[in-house]
Amino acid sequence: MATNPPSSTPSIADALNRLWIRFLPEIEDRIAIIDTAAKALANGVLTNEEREAAHSAAHKLSGTLGTFGLNHGTELARKAELEFEKQSPSVAPAELTTWISELSLLVRNRQ
Amino acid sequence: MSRRILIIDDEDDIRQVAALSLETVAGWDVIVASSGAQGLLRAAEHQPDAILLDVMMPGMDGPTTFRELRKNPATAKIPVLLLTAKVQGPDQRRFADLGVEAVLLKPFDPLTLSAQMEKILGWA
Repeated sequence: MATNPPSSTPSIADALNRLWIRFLPEIEDRIAIIDTAAKALANGVLTNEEREAAHSAAHKLSGTLGTFGLNHGTELARKAELEFEKQSPSVAPAELTTWISELSLLVRNRQ
Repeated sequence: MSRRILIIDDEDDIRQVAALSLETVAGWDVIVASSGAQGLLRAAEHQPDAILLDVMMPGMDGPTTFRELRKNPATAKIPVLLLTAKVQGPDQRRFADLGVEAVLLKPFDPLTLSAQMEKILGWA
């Protein structure tokens, strides 16, 4: 599974890296929204608003991360998206936490 | 051959990566719109050769925007490619049934997006 930025001519690779840096805060915010919802789910206090926000954030991440070469990030985000699409997510909270940790690590480690 | 493409997507990051890809890899002119309503205006004004249209947008979503484009004689014949992160089969079939040229999946590869579009649109 590719987890590196697309190999390309220097110009587009450099430009993609600049866009990555520019949009990184937004990407991290989206992960934080999912994390907040995951913690609420684990504590049995997930509101519909939090679930919908997490669903939207995960959907956006699934579309964005692979575009920056993080295809595994897209897969993880897509799994979270499918869970938060349900009125009552059925994933074990520990598993969801693992996905989010992996996502954070992938994003942090992208060069 | 130079082409003019309109990208309609509410997500700034996707819009900018797609624009970068089409401008840098293919050398096309790119116009962007951040909402369906803005996209309708830009399409009529700039007469692009094709439109990349996001499905999930607040307000006017992609399918609604597509139907509005088709209603206007000034934009009715512009080829539209839907862009979506919805990978499930029923969603894709529903989008394809709208009458768009193709449904492209997010994430896309910035290096091959223009080639994919050229092939679909018969520009290759």
